[in-house]
Amino acid sequence: MLSVKYFGAVAEKTKVQGENIPFSNLSLQELVDELEQKYDLGSLSYSIAVNQKIVQDTNGYMLISNDIVALLPPFAGG
Amino acid sequence: MRYNRQIILPEVGEKGQQKLGQAKVLIIGAGGLGAAILPYLAAAGIGEIGIIDDDSIEISNLQRQVIYRNDAVGKSKALEAKEMALSLNPSIQINAITDTLNAKNALALFEYYDIMVDATDNLHTKYLINDACVVTNKPFVYGSIYKFQGQLSVFNYQNGPTYRCLFPDESSNSKNCVDAGVMGISVGIIGMFQANEVLKMVLGIGNVLSGELLIYNMLNNDQQKFELVKTNITPLSQLDFENKYNVVATSVLEISPKEALEQIENPDVLFLDVRNEEELPKISLPNNIQIPLVDLEENLDQLDPNKMLLVYCQSGMRSKKAVEILKKHSFLKVQSIAGGALKLQGIIATNTVSVS
Repeated sequence: MLSVKYFGAVAEKTKVQGENIPFSNLSLQELVDELEQKYDLGSLSYSIAVNQKIVQDTNGYMLISNDIVALLPPFAGG
Repeated sequence: MRYNRQIILPEVGEKGQQKLGQAKVLIIGAGGLGAAILPYLAAAGIGEIGIIDDDSIEISNLQRQVIYRNDAVGKSKALEAKEMALSLNPSIQINAITDTLNAKNALALFEYYDIMVDATDNLHTKYLINDACVVTNKPFVYGSIYKFQGQLSVFNYQNGPTYRCLFPDESSNSKNCVDAGVMGISVGIIGMFQANEVLKMVLGIGNVLSGELLIYNMLNNDQQKFELVKTNITPLSQLDFENKYNVVATSVLEISPKEALEQIENPDVLFLDVRNEEELPKISLPNNIQIPLVDLEENLDQLDPNKMLLVYCQSGMRSKKAVEILKKHSFLKVQSIAGGALKLQGIIATNTVSVS
């Protein structure tokens, strides 16, 4: 199982704050591509964290079962 | 006597109070966040506080910018904020700066103050604050809101990670309070967290939120921290900074919305909306194309380089960014519409021009 958490404008698009996804062997980038397509996130920019750590290189990052992925867009209000 | 209750804390003491009295803090923005940060820093005895904002107070500000009185509507935010802070604590110095933070004044201001507190409402200024903090080697206390969620971090603290290490994509956009809506309490909570980081840094107590992003959810009190590492390791010199910002500032041509709308029948002009599709108000013009800013570079083939491009977004920030991108790709006749769709809509609605 993988768990994904959404924040800010991303959560608004997904209409949920998080969800569990059955685990299969995939890279972080593959997961993100799937989510982008599923929720039409293309217009949003966000950073990605795995297990509460920001990940820069999503391509080379292989996920393992029970990983918690977070999509973190910048906020602008103040 | 004034500071007795904090001096009796062993973590503060007379020595800590002296540190507070010697500290110089710049609050950038006198809106919702600034209105929370300023009175607490002033009351705690921060010796010198700068508050920079060129806006005047509007009635719609008062539900969250709680330091302003109803009868101050129309007056300068920075000047009113100064008056409020001095009436709270006349023993400190407040410098009101009735200007926007820009590439021309940022470095001199940042050299003078010890800590910069981001109380702005747009991403463009956050990158500017970040870069100016990197050049001057000063910490950047970041706070920001999206509806019922807030973000907090301290960037560039003792050579720690910067805003660009967290959000490298400068072309990204996010709605501010004006567009997305916000409760006053939400900005108050995040502003209070920011003021707390300032006090910790000045006093040298606790752990400063450096290398971490805090996200606070006001609706369920969920609080999460994410670790980040420094990835932007190239130092930024003053010359790099000036090249990056000043060139941009002078090369982006702006056109007023009224002048722009006079071109709607001109076959050699194309209006380019760089907002995302869901953004309102919709502007219907005969010669209009929509390409969100993030997709612009990949869709340049949709634009005719021989036409004059009049670019607009919601309020005129992203369109400037778009103009830079277009210029980089050799589109020479490009102008940004000042004030964006909000201003255009106002003119169209009052029928000062006819839109076919």
